[in-house]
Amino acid sequence: MGALLRLVGVGGVIAYRALFNWTTPSIFVGTLLVGPLFQLFFFAYLGREFGVADDRFYIVGNAVLTAALACVYGGTMAVANERRFGTLGHVLLSPRSRTAIFLGRVLPYAGNGLLIAASTLTVAALLLGLRIPATALPGLLLALATAALACGFFGLTLGALGLRFRDVFLISNVAVALLLLFTGVNVPADSLPAGIRAVGAVLPITHAADAARRLAGGAPLGDVLPAIGLELAVGVGYAVLAAGLLTVFEAESRRRASLDTL
Amino acid sequence: MIAVGALLHVKQLSRSPFEIAIALFVPVVQATLAVYLFRAGGEPDRLLEAAVGAGLMGVWSTVLFGSGGAIQNQRWQGTLEMIMLAPRSPALVLLPVTLATGITGTYAMLATLAWGRLLYGIPLDFAHPVAFPVAVAGCIAGLGMFGLLLASGFVLLRHANALANMLEYPIWLVSGMLVPVTALPGWTGPVAAVLPTTWGARAVHEAASGGPVWPALAVCLAISLACLAAGWALMTYVERRARVTATLALA
Repeated sequence: MGALLRLVGVGGVIAYRALFNWTTPSIFVGTLLVGPLFQLFFFAYLGREFGVADDRFYIVGNAVLTAALACVYGGTMAVANERRFGTLGHVLLSPRSRTAIFLGRVLPYAGNGLLIAASTLTVAALLLGLRIPATALPGLLLALATAALACGFFGLTLGALGLRFRDVFLISNVAVALLLLFTGVNVPADSLPAGIRAVGAVLPITHAADAARRLAGGAPLGDVLPAIGLELAVGVGYAVLAAGLLTVFEAESRRRASLDTL
Repeated sequence: MIAVGALLHVKQLSRSPFEIAIALFVPVVQATLAVYLFRAGGEPDRLLEAAVGAGLMGVWSTVLFGSGGAIQNQRWQGTLEMIMLAPRSPALVLLPVTLATGITGTYAMLATLAWGRLLYGIPLDFAHPVAFPVAVAGCIAGLGMFGLLLASGFVLLRHANALANMLEYPIWLVSGMLVPVTALPGWTGPVAAVLPTTWGARAVHEAASGGPVWPALAVCLAISLACLAAGWALMTYVERRARVTATLALA
């Protein structure tokens, strides 16, 4: 058990550090901390213009959504970059569980997503004048962490497709764009068609954003635990799906000798 | 040469499934979002504005990432040396690339208008039906010229990717592509006034919804020409410096 935890924990951290082979602190700050803040401002001002919902709806919802940026792309890169850098074969040759290796890689990305969402929420609340009760902070942290974890597993599911399809970043770009629409972060759920709401219910962010908004509005943690539980269930669902797809596609890519085909 | 070069690069960009899918799909998602938001806000008569605005956002994204990475892309393709070896000015060789990114941005505009018409039944009743395509073409040309400044400026910056990632939403916001400039804090006014995107977006919106198109389009093109001159000078400087320091092919 200790070895498995080491594989999941240390392996994930090492893989995360390897990202800084190509990224730099300035890219990190620009892309993951400042960029999402502008995204939040865009939708907050759009919301103010049309008066569809108040600032809390847009600020809190979009802050939760910012976790998706790092987690979905990160989860995708956890698999896709191995192929891109020619190291996928080495990973798959390992005698250890590949499922544990890849699931472990999601954890640092989820931590990253939590950091981004928390910093975006803090800065946006200060700049746009949103007051959040101090008692809501632990619950908000829990909602953001759950969202980040669910997004990471969602990203890993997309990354698993990278074992089968060549241009997995096309899929992740489209997925991130769809999250803007389907999660109801920018349009109140009752203004969206039932079909979009149904898809949103099985996507990450939707339930966590709902929980976070209610917490920021003063709801006690107990009231929003079911929503956070739903978000966690969505995340677990994607983790299981990712593990299944990784197993199937790995076997398939060995059989078809298409492991490193780009 | 500019026309042939632009056509060549449009064809090349149009053969990339990634570029095409992103140029078509993401603006359509943005347009759908805008349509539901406008409807929820009780503004169903402004749906055309939503479709046009989302299309403009797609055009800017294409120019930003296409032009911003124009030189880097040539470097990755191994064609940068050949471009610099050409007996014409490097700016003249690269201008068609940045114009091409603007032209491929029209895919986004076409996609959002077609999507709005077919799925949501948005009538394409442009207030100035003749001026609208002219305004879009002028806006595209203006952004293509602005793209040369981006291309030459970004190559000087070590972390241009980070800057490009940061610039997408602020320009959407400040230029009034979907959110009216009047809804923003007052200090954004002077910033918006010097951006060709602001005037290009205004010209296109006014052609679609009504208003004086030509003054805004003229200002857009005037600012874009200034950007072209600045980009030209910067590109010449960058090329000379890269040759002197032998860093042309270095990332």
